[in-house]
Amino acid sequence: MNVLIIEDEKGLADELEIFLNNCNYVCEVCFNGTAASEKIAVNLYDFILIDLGLPDYDGLDLLKEARKNNPEAICIILTARAEVYDRIRGLDLGADDYLPKPFSLLELQSRMQAITRRKFGLKQNLVDLGGFVINLTDRIISYNGVEVGTITKKEFDLVAYMLLHKNRTLTRSQLSEHIWGSIINDDYDSNYIDAHIKNIRKKLNAYGPPDWLETVRGLGYKIKVNT
Amino acid sequence: MKLRTKLTLFNTLSKLVIVIIFVLLLPVVFQTINKNYADNRLHKDEDKVLQTVRDQGIKSYIQNGESYGSYTPIKDVYVSLDEDTLAENLDTIQNEPRKVDGDTITYRILSHNFAVDKKNYLLEIGISLDSVNETSRPLQSIAFMILVAMIVLTVLADQFYSTYVLRPLGQIIKTKLIGQKFPNFGSYEKVQTSTSDFEYLDISIHKMIKTIENTFQKEREFISNASHELMTPISILQSKIENMFEQEDLADEPKTRLLEMQRILNRLKSITKTLLLISQIENEQFLKEDSMPLHELLQEIYDEISIRLPEKNISYTVDIPENMVLVGVNKFLMFNLFFNLINNAIKYNREDGDIKVVAARENNTWVVLIIDSGIGISAEDLPFIFNRFKKLRASLKQDSFGLGLPIVQSIAAFHEIKIEVQSEKDRGSVFKLILPDFLIKI
Repeated sequence: MNVLIIEDEKGLADELEIFLNNCNYVCEVCFNGTAASEKIAVNLYDFILIDLGLPDYDGLDLLKEARKNNPEAICIILTARAEVYDRIRGLDLGADDYLPKPFSLLELQSRMQAITRRKFGLKQNLVDLGGFVINLTDRIISYNGVEVGTITKKEFDLVAYMLLHKNRTLTRSQLSEHIWGSIINDDYDSNYIDAHIKNIRKKLNAYGPPDWLETVRGLGYKIKVNT
Repeated sequence: MKLRTKLTLFNTLSKLVIVIIFVLLLPVVFQTINKNYADNRLHKDEDKVLQTVRDQGIKSYIQNGESYGSYTPIKDVYVSLDEDTLAENLDTIQNEPRKVDGDTITYRILSHNFAVDKKNYLLEIGISLDSVNETSRPLQSIAFMILVAMIVLTVLADQFYSTYVLRPLGQIIKTKLIGQKFPNFGSYEKVQTSTSDFEYLDISIHKMIKTIENTFQKEREFISNASHELMTPISILQSKIENMFEQEDLADEPKTRLLEMQRILNRLKSITKTLLLISQIENEQFLKEDSMPLHELLQEIYDEISIRLPEKNISYTVDIPENMVLVGVNKFLMFNLFFNLINNAIKYNREDGDIKVVAARENNTWVVLIIDSGIGISAEDLPFIFNRFKKLRASLKQDSFGLGLPIVQSIAAFHEIKIEVQSEKDRGSVFKLILPDFLIKI
């Protein structure tokens, strides 16, 4: 999958590129709007990540050009100016998602995958984990055909997020940012993730051992999938 | 007391004092006037008698040495002329009683002696005092009534005029000072007045408001710009840490440090995001167009927050009418308002404590109470709980940076919700949200 990264902050553009390369995306980077505009006009991309705050170009104009020349591309706006009207205008102009800075790279990847799934209507997205079947489309966990009905929405979100980043250790900060990121409160260390994981394990254990959900001592949690 | 009332009161009192003095003086004044009038009349009568004597001789009055006397039928005036034995000259007016036909009547008497044909005569002309003072009583009442009428009229006129002349002051207070959403005063509208003092006051207040507004605007812009500017560097750091964390050759020890860095960065991120949110609320960048049943909102919060209850074995109850709907609010903000209050109620609670969220009718408005059995807030801390970055001694143990309640306050102010806090140390706190009528549909 081809990704065009339009970001004037070199430090961030580099990290985006490294991360997406690791996730097997092919990246091109533009540090300004003019170069990006040329690339959009010539090449076809699967993803276009646009920073709205470019020094030489209005990011929203770039979005219009992308919609015109790359109608198939998935456009995601990255911006530090999290103004409400920016967001509304961006989505009105055809952006597929809007990610306010600072964002987690994992969050970006999860959004990219979610949009892909939504846009191309992938068939039943089922993952088999040691007897548990996780249905990402219907958001159900089942064991031997029996639904684990006690799992809450939050708990499923956590499992799905870890599954998306399978075999990768996710820290408590990353997990809490994913499930509580939009809530503005004044806790800076929430270790309630531990309580959630404990509950998930307890509920799954009633059906079978969820060995695939691993605690990485001192670091966080991960879902291990043998490939 | 109102200025207008004071002015009217002063006017009324000062006039009353004048009237009382006048009324007290009236009898004396009228008596003096009447006396002078009577004396005048007596002198005129005397002149007439003397003129007659000069013209026609004493004989027209006295013949054969008999004294002359004449009364009006009701004895209010009499004239007497008699030979006199006194040698000295007499010309006096005095009040003296006289016996007339068995009645003793006090007269004002003019006594005058004169000589005609080498004989001395004494002329007495008297007017009864009753008839002299007869007019003073009705005159006094008339004067009194006119005075009262004038006072009433002038007091009314004063009242009317002071109301008229002070109206701009009321308008300045009403339109410029109260009922304004601080510090958004809107555009300047001149208050109509011909009084230069009020014009001066109006302009001064306007200048003051402008200064305050500018200062606030600058502060808000600063916070907004600063938080925005911080977002990009935070974003770069966060990505770098995340990417480093992924490196396979990384040993556990630096990994733990990276984790620590990530947590601290998260803290920086939370503070920045919170400041940005507060500045966005204060700049009114949120729409208030959502409506939702309050109990549903609280259920959503419960779903997020219930994981925090078992740690201290806290019981949580909600008593909200199912048909109570919030209208014209921003859902995201209202969520954060209740989330922060309930989260605080959990954080500052004790083991086996409880939390109640209750809606009630109070003084004809809806209030929502968030009641906890926690550590409470001491009386000396209470005035400062809404200050930004204010960490109270009790909260030092907790993971917080002192922006939870400032968010709550900003959101509440944005929705015109009033917050009252009652708290008792070691017994718990009650946060009361007083919801304006237009936010509730039931």
